[in-house]
Amino acid sequence: MSSVKEVGVILGGPQGSGLETSMNVLARALASRGYWLIADREYYSNITGRHSYIHMLVSSDKQPRSLRYPVEVIAAMDAETIFTHFLDISERGVLLYDTYVSSKTLSEVASMEEHVKSRIEKNIQRLGLEPDVKSILKHLSEDKHISAIGIDYSKVLKNLSEKYNINARFLSRYLSGLIVSAVALILGIEDESVKEAFQQYFKEKTIIAEQNFAIYEMLRKQLEEYIGLVKLDPPAPRHSKIMVASGNDVVAMGKIVAGVRYQSYYPITPAADESFLLEKHSDILSKYKQPIGSLIVLQTEDEISAITSAIGASLTGVRSSTSTSGPGFDLMIEGISWAGMNETPVVITYYQRGGPSTGQPTRGAQSDLFNAVFAGHGEFSRIVLSSGDHIEAFYDTIMSFNLAEKFQVPVIHLLDKFLANSLATMDIPSLKDVLVERGYISKGGTGYKRFSLNSLISPRAPLGSEETVMWYTGDEHDEYGHICEDPEIRVKMYSKRIEKDKIILESIPLDYKFTLYGGSDFEYLLLGWGSVKGVALDAVDKLREKGLKVSYLNIKLLWPFPTLEFRDIVKSIPEDRLIAVEHSYGVNIASLIRQTTGININKKISKYTGRPITLSELLISLDKIISKETNRVVFTYGE
Amino acid sequence: MVSKWNYKSDLWIDWCPGCGNFGIHSALIKALEDLGLNPSKTVIVSGIGCSGKIAHFVNVNGVHTLHGRAIPFAMGIKIANPELEVIVHGGDGDLLGIGAGHFVALGRRNIDITVILHNNNVYGLTKGQASPTLPLGVKTKALYWPNIHERVNPVLLALASGYTFVARGYAMDTNHLRELIKKAIMHKGAAFIDVLQPCVTFNDIYTMEFYKKRIYKLEDDPNFDPIVRKDEETLPKYLKAVEKSLEWGDRIPIGIFYINENVSTFEERLSERSTGYKEIPPAKSIIEEGKPIIDQETFESMFKEFIVNVKKHQINK
Ligand SMILES: Cc1ncc(C[n+]2csc(CCOP(=O)(O)OP(=O)(O)O)c2C)c(N)n1
Ligand code: SF4
Ligand SMILES: [Mg+2]
Repeated sequence: MSSVKEVGVILGGPQGSGLETSMNVLARALASRGYWLIADREYYSNITGRHSYIHMLVSSDKQPRSLRYPVEVIAAMDAETIFTHFLDISERGVLLYDTYVSSKTLSEVASMEEHVKSRIEKNIQRLGLEPDVKSILKHLSEDKHISAIGIDYSKVLKNLSEKYNINARFLSRYLSGLIVSAVALILGIEDESVKEAFQQYFKEKTIIAEQNFAIYEMLRKQLEEYIGLVKLDPPAPRHSKIMVASGNDVVAMGKIVAGVRYQSYYPITPAADESFLLEKHSDILSKYKQPIGSLIVLQTEDEISAITSAIGASLTGVRSSTSTSGPGFDLMIEGISWAGMNETPVVITYYQRGGPSTGQPTRGAQSDLFNAVFAGHGEFSRIVLSSGDHIEAFYDTIMSFNLAEKFQVPVIHLLDKFLANSLATMDIPSLKDVLVERGYISKGGTGYKRFSLNSLISPRAPLGSEETVMWYTGDEHDEYGHICEDPEIRVKMYSKRIEKDKIILESIPLDYKFTLYGGSDFEYLLLGWGSVKGVALDAVDKLREKGLKVSYLNIKLLWPFPTLEFRDIVKSIPEDRLIAVEHSYGVNIASLIRQTTGININKKISKYTGRPITLSELLISLDKIISKETNRVVFTYGE
Repeated sequence: MVSKWNYKSDLWIDWCPGCGNFGIHSALIKALEDLGLNPSKTVIVSGIGCSGKIAHFVNVNGVHTLHGRAIPFAMGIKIANPELEVIVHGGDGDLLGIGAGHFVALGRRNIDITVILHNNNVYGLTKGQASPTLPLGVKTKALYWPNIHERVNPVLLALASGYTFVARGYAMDTNHLRELIKKAIMHKGAAFIDVLQPCVTFNDIYTMEFYKKRIYKLEDDPNFDPIVRKDEETLPKYLKAVEKSLEWGDRIPIGIFYINENVSTFEERLSERSTGYKEIPPAKSIIEEGKPIIDQETFESMFKEFIVNVKKHQINK
């Protein structure tokens, strides 16, 4: 087989069997070889046993931004992976499987939900196959020319246990390494890269790294004839050091750079990993060179405590934040309304997942736009920012703190599970251009008025300032912060807190409002926010290759909505050439735009299965919409 | 001692005439005077209710928060700036109803905060509904039916939650309460005072007359010593405190039930995770305008686990 620019990979197996480790190690091995990649992690809300998988795209010359089906390589830990994904392997692709599962039938897969099973059964019937692994393997190799490569997993692990005297009970821990090794060999990644990836991932547990690499060496002999079967082109030049991190990771890094000193959280998917990383690093400020501060990361008793304690910390002048997803955000709303009332900066990192209620706890969604923008009683300024990819999320995290302090408002940084849990390669963020902006900090003093009406942005002095006392209250208040129900004061204070929107819009630079990709010569404009950016940009590139002038508008500032600039950018085309895409039923950005600009967008692309929109889905839907076949496309692909 | 600060704010206090809150307010002011606490380094954090307004009636920093949430606000303030003296005031509905989870959590953390419960057995500000401390079957004035819930015992709950200073005061005995408040503020760790507070408008059962007949002081019993001085005293003193907390009826004890300063405070626990915490707590960390405090090199070494060296690369910088 000649080499290719791009390879899609799926690693599948039961939840709890180490797939996340496989993803991390394989990504490091590929990155150290110079490849670019993105990897989405799909899993049930379950700790052990249900089907999970990693869906990766690896490229030799540029950062992949979206996922696609079919993939060239699937590595299956179990029979369920084969049943679930056999239709996703491309012709002449590779399936790596455990010879032990060859005799399995679909009905034996107990962990599979009945609905999934009957759907798969229908597919199998349609192809005239038997519902067992053997029949599927035969179909794959005979009809699709797929190399189905069987490995006796237990034999490999048994050899390992003999070599290192490992208790049989712990052997399943090495499955992740086996999967990494098999895939690395098929892709023909150099030994050194694999070795170092294990070493970097397992860090001080050097023996574990060594044992995993021993698996690789065993498999190298066994799979000799298949090494480099799906070979990637040599990588294009890139920086000597690159970062491999998830969305949760980059947000945590951004917070540290921004100077967060208090982060509270109540555990929830897919937000908790961010706090976990911060917690792990909570001593770095004291340990580094000379102590530069302390970072307190606190698991609170609930999300109400998370937001209110973060606000409390903020009152002392500290940069503070909390992270959550939909259910937790709902509990925070009264606190956010208090922050609005008291002109208090606080950052809420909001990772959307499928709702309503617990919904789909581990799946992605963008269905909380209105919740972020409108939740809370009374009217007050807030800022809602979204990020389109990992790198944006890093800088936007820092920006969130700046905006919160400059305008003394709660800032909601709206992300989602797709970004949170997906791993990507990226250039190491450069801190050169990072700017910390703290806004108007007052020294207080006698007669200090925390809520002075002299300026739209009040003089903020931290609690504890010398010779200063101040009051805060959720009730309407006077300039000192004392309760006051006078109608005149009410009007002044109430409108002050809302009219900040105006200066927010005036001060935020255009590229923090939205970015146009593809060119300003567009005849059609696809628009969206957050993690649809990657797939949208890939679609735009493909359509432009075909000569269709489509561009993508990545909206970052969701609230206050940049009405004027938006009207300006879309004025060159008629309304019916605007197309919105979102991971929700309502494609709610269209409603927000209509409300704030009067512009009607009635062409909508939607997906709310909890799985990411793939490039082919988006291309098909754009084709249908542009050819006027339909105004609304809803997609459902992916397990 | 004459304090150089005037702690009384000149706002008109809008509690009903004769309300027990006045007693708590005077005791607090006197305690602040006695201790001479610096108003700019003192913060009263209050919940919502008649009681919650106290934050505005004292000339130290006041943070009047949300119903039930004074404790987590206070926690954020205290953790971020441990130099501040933080005192929480809340009603019984506030601290033990809607905010009960936070009340328990503060005890478990043993943060150096003082919590003063304005216990009037009713929801004053919403016009007299039953509060969590009203016993089952009791019908105060504004209730249509007798109370359908059993009461929670605040002192016992505080002991169970891990507060290391637990006391009860009476709003109308301001001198006694003033001493309790002083000791609670001076205590190292989470301190709790259950203050029996007559509500003249809605509580016609737990009135001043009711309390006058029943209240006695724990310190009048020479055999009762609530202070844990050695580790081995912990269990017996704790059990004694629990036993005393169950006394309710013809005789109602006020005074200190339990003090144990041998328990690590949250501040100490945090210092183990973040070793610079004592020296440079969050509020003392300097975050300057302009360049981030962390430089590129520091950043890359902090997050080296995410950085991969590319082999055979060609630098295209
Ligand atoms: C979330 C929320 N629910 C309800 C209320 C209405 N509310 C105001 S005060 C109060 C009860 C006050 O009772 P308590 O805490 O005992 O204080 P007291 O007035 O007796 O001092 C309630 C329920 C509120 N402010 N916020
Ligand atoms: S209602 Fe009761 S608690 Fe409230 S101010 Fe009046 S007397 Fe005091
Ligand atoms: Mg009450």
